[in-house]
Amino acid sequence: MTAVDPTTTGRVLEGAAMPVRPAPARRRRGRSGANDLTVRGKVVRYLVLSLAAVVTIFPFYAMVVLSLKPAAAIDFPASLLPTNLTTEAYDRVLGAGNIGTWLVNTLVYSLVSVVAVLLLASMAGYAFAKKRFPGREAMFWSFLAMVMVPYHVTLIPTFILIAQAGGLDTYWGLILPTLANAQAVFLMRQFILDLPDELFEAAKLDGASEWRIFVRIVLPLCKPILATLGTFVFLWHWNDFLWPLIIGQGTDHWTLTVGIASLQQQDVPLNMVLAGATISFVPIFASYLVAQRYFVEGVTSSGIKG
Amino acid sequence: MTATAPTSDGLTADRPPSARPPVPGKTRRIMERREARIGLLFALPAFALFLLFRFGPAIAGVALSFFDYTIGVGAEWTGVENFRRMVDDPVFWSALRVTVVMSVLIVPVSLAISTFMALMVRRSFRGSGFYRSVFFLPVVTSLVLAATVFTWVFSSNGPWSKLMGTLGFSTDSWLGSTVLVLPALAMVAIWSRFGYGMLILLARMQDLPRELEEAASIDGAGAWKRFWHIIAPQLKPTLFFLAVIETTASFQIFDLVYVMTAGGPARASYNLVFYIYDQGFKYFDLGYASALGVALFAVTLVVAVIQRYLIGRDK
Repeated sequence: MTAVDPTTTGRVLEGAAMPVRPAPARRRRGRSGANDLTVRGKVVRYLVLSLAAVVTIFPFYAMVVLSLKPAAAIDFPASLLPTNLTTEAYDRVLGAGNIGTWLVNTLVYSLVSVVAVLLLASMAGYAFAKKRFPGREAMFWSFLAMVMVPYHVTLIPTFILIAQAGGLDTYWGLILPTLANAQAVFLMRQFILDLPDELFEAAKLDGASEWRIFVRIVLPLCKPILATLGTFVFLWHWNDFLWPLIIGQGTDHWTLTVGIASLQQQDVPLNMVLAGATISFVPIFASYLVAQRYFVEGVTSSGIKG
Repeated sequence: MTATAPTSDGLTADRPPSARPPVPGKTRRIMERREARIGLLFALPAFALFLLFRFGPAIAGVALSFFDYTIGVGAEWTGVENFRRMVDDPVFWSALRVTVVMSVLIVPVSLAISTFMALMVRRSFRGSGFYRSVFFLPVVTSLVLAATVFTWVFSSNGPWSKLMGTLGFSTDSWLGSTVLVLPALAMVAIWSRFGYGMLILLARMQDLPRELEEAASIDGAGAWKRFWHIIAPQLKPTLFFLAVIETTASFQIFDLVYVMTAGGPARASYNLVFYIYDQGFKYFDLGYASALGVALFAVTLVVAVIQRYLIGRDK
């Protein structure tokens, strides 16, 4: 399903990273129209974009400000002014105990999955791209075909499998099924395919073992795609909801998304729910500010978010 | 240490295989066998997981839809009974209707907004990068998190209801209305996804040649005409790709429904995925839940084919 070239979206991001990009030399300036807007056009564009930006950002702003309000003061619109702020909601939500556990669970779920998916997918990608072995084509095509099958068809048998094996309420039960990532293998294979064989053959002639070649030569060359893929896998796991919801039966085994959803459904005051939401949002937002390019490449080259 | 992309010097990279130093047949066979063994070893861990958690479950998921299965009780072959039950099940038809309506509300609007925003930010100007970053932020945000905030936005004393009141409409929460709950959910879904389509379209737009547009502009074509006759036709394949992706995503909306409405009021936002979840993990009727999963897959495929026909066909 990957109809988008990650390098293309990467270039879009270059534009995002550097707001003022020098115009390419080939850009010929016409009279007006296609390239240059009139002053009025520019003003309209800024107005429309700013309105859209306000609408887009408003929920984030409301989340943070309302989480910093005392429980009683949540009445629109007065409550949206950043006055009378207090960390009461944070104290209470952190004091209630579980959110720390959920944060740890989410971190374990996300980080272990990233490391494991990157290792498994780059090994398999290397094998599919550079090695000949019996069954290679059949294996690869079965990977590809499964990208088409929706998640909800495999969900129930996977749940039964994990439940029968005693994996409910365990980290391995939560993590293991999500490591079977066909898109990751596909992306790695495409990237490694373009690396010239000579790089590996020289090392082989020097007597380096295959594992050593993989770790010392293949992996370092794959850094850009590993960063992109790793960001996507991290984001996917951090935001994942349905699978942790059905695997984690006891509150100690929930992730942040499951915990926050349950806060929302009980009669927990809004400022506490939003404090929990803000806690889960901050790590993603901070990483987005720093490594936006990888977020964009990861999401746009891997397609659907859950 | 530094990961510079390999700049293959054309000489060695393009050397034909015949130019390699000759290797004796026996040694080559040994080497080939060794290569095959290593390839297999490297591919095996990922492939084993894949068989266990994707391939196996996909087949089992289809197979299960022909069984009556309850964990702990066991499986009983019932043939097409689950599907017969589905045909007579008013909840299934209502869930299917909700799924389709949601998709109809979301996909066209989302694509239109994505296209419009991509057109607005496609040229570099002061601040264009900032706007792009802002519009993409909801895409990386958890839907559960978005749902908690939007539940407040749509609550009866939240900003949306206040806005409706100011415009002279009822201030009742949209989430409590059987008619307005789907538009409310659709707005959240669009908010969370339009930035994705925008970036995909943006990437495509930047690859389009400028000459056509410039010529049209010199001939006096206005912005709308330039878009409709020059840009839009070239975006068709990308729009098709997005339509399929967005439709699939809208069919699978779960987090928003779970947090904001739990399928209510009166099943007005109870979609197929939510029904699968209820049957599977609340009533533990896993056979019927699997049959519903197969139905969802079938609907997704049918819609993709229809979209292919509608968008792919030439005028």
